[in-house]
Amino acid sequence: MVDLATKSLLHDKLRFLITVSGVAFAVTLVFVQVGLFLGLLDNASITIEHIDADLWVTSRNTPNVDFAHTFPDTQVKRVRSVPGVARADNLIVWFVTMNLPSGAQEGSLIYALDDFSLWNIPWNVMEGDLADLKRGQYFFLDDSAVKRYGPFAVGEYREIMGQRMKIIGRTKHARSFTTTPITFIDFDRAQTLNPQSLQGKTTYILVKLAPGADPQAVKAEIARRLPYNDVYTRKDWAARSRRYWVQSTGIGLNMYITVFLGCLVGIVVVAQTLYTSTMEHLKEFGTVKAIGGGNFDIYRILAKQASIAAVAGFILGALMAYAMRPAITKIDLKLIIPPAFVAIVFAGSVVMCLAAAMISFKKVASIDPALVFRA
Amino acid sequence: MTPVLEAIDVFKEYREGRGETVPVLKGVSLSLSRGEIVSLEGPSGSGKTTLLSILGCILTASSGRIVVEGEEADPKRPARLPEIRKKSIGFVFQQFNLFPSLTALENVEYALNVKGLRNATARKEAERVLDAVGLDDRKHFLPRDLSGGQKQRIAIARALAGRSPILLADEPTANLDSHIGGQILEMFRALAKKEDRALLIVTHDPKVRTVSDRVLQIRDGSIAEDGIAA
Repeated sequence: MVDLATKSLLHDKLRFLITVSGVAFAVTLVFVQVGLFLGLLDNASITIEHIDADLWVTSRNTPNVDFAHTFPDTQVKRVRSVPGVARADNLIVWFVTMNLPSGAQEGSLIYALDDFSLWNIPWNVMEGDLADLKRGQYFFLDDSAVKRYGPFAVGEYREIMGQRMKIIGRTKHARSFTTTPITFIDFDRAQTLNPQSLQGKTTYILVKLAPGADPQAVKAEIARRLPYNDVYTRKDWAARSRRYWVQSTGIGLNMYITVFLGCLVGIVVVAQTLYTSTMEHLKEFGTVKAIGGGNFDIYRILAKQASIAAVAGFILGALMAYAMRPAITKIDLKLIIPPAFVAIVFAGSVVMCLAAAMISFKKVASIDPALVFRA
Repeated sequence: MTPVLEAIDVFKEYREGRGETVPVLKGVSLSLSRGEIVSLEGPSGSGKTTLLSILGCILTASSGRIVVEGEEADPKRPARLPEIRKKSIGFVFQQFNLFPSLTALENVEYALNVKGLRNATARKEAERVLDAVGLDDRKHFLPRDLSGGQKQRIAIARALAGRSPILLADEPTANLDSHIGGQILEMFRALAKKEDRALLIVTHDPKVRTVSDRVLQIRDGSIAEDGIAA
């Protein structure tokens, strides 16, 4: 079977390159925009995803993990008594101020637990022993703080809420959506940093279920016993935290608009080049009709050409997006491209190109085969 | 002899922008039999190409009948017309109309693919007709690398491929020099006769008469003369 579609498409290499570039541009734009968006959102729930808790008890209407509200820390005892709960501990997440050696004052987000080792947080300890946190005025600081605080080293001191504290460890990859650096402190010490707000208080209760326990049943029972709190599964809490930033900051809308514009540019470029190509090959399509081919034969040629442009453009666009990853990481951003999203973009590219080809379908349907006799 | 192609009292009018109708064919009747070579002559604007398009089921007549191998080309069933072209008619065009991205062999093979022949069968038939027109050694050349005469040979091979009983040629020598044009006509005639095809050649070229069995003269949309070629 002679492949007229492919041969004709590749015959004019410059036009083919322009078409593929149009698709590749759209694909790169979509990958980078959505990848950055997902990277940002990942920061909004990264601690929730890593902390080994099946359920989270929060104060009523807490919008996201960073913006915590307090409630009595004794509530944890009620949670521990619920059948199906294997372990429950208080967690404080709270904004504090840190005085830097430069004299500047910066915000910091503390995560405070009684025993960090039980909850898989921090999950990436580069230096130091978390058990030492209980031994004095100590804290761990995440590497991402370098950007805001400047370089730091274990053994150095910083002032947190007016208290001189020593850095005894460093972690990696613990981030907040607001880019406020995260510090890890012992739970009791955290309560002393801001006694007015935190004495006798917690902001969350982390719950680990006993093996075989029904999460929904345990959740319902905790909610019944703590009527002034909310209870979420890990998945729901992560989704709520992400949703807050999407809805309240407009980054979701910004992302959708950019993706829409990317697709629009792709469709326009592909439609324009395919249409021009169709116009220039009208006589060839007329010949196909004259030798017995129908509109469907020509639609098939155009659809195949559009699909080839889509596949080539997708591969080029995806490679460009992946090639940009190291540069994006260097500026402390994350580009997250899940495999399912790659599949969606691939299908979208094909649909986009086929939609663009449909403009040419209309022209082809009206071809007068008698044009083959015209000089 | 039973005709393979008949036009019976064919009229064709075109509607112009202001709603006026312009008659192009005014009651044309003709028939073509297997093995017969007929030239259709006439001045520019006499309706030659319109008649050829109607005979080839590319255009439909305003009234009258076209019968191809006993089947009426019914304008009320437009989906049937490509099928008739596929099965019964091969075209040769003045501008050759080859696909520039396909080699000589692929140009012929593609036409066979459209007619429903696939793979080795199509390849074998394409090679047979290219051999018949003397282009066996040029079959892997693109049209841009071939002379006008060679391109027209490919176009003839494409028309011959698939053994359509009717061959319709529109000014096949118009873009060729006199010597090459003469060779092409001789070859075309020989092949049409050998394979028992009916060949209708629309032309301005007086040389075409020399290869024709019959000459039709068309003037102002009517057949003015139907006679044996001298």
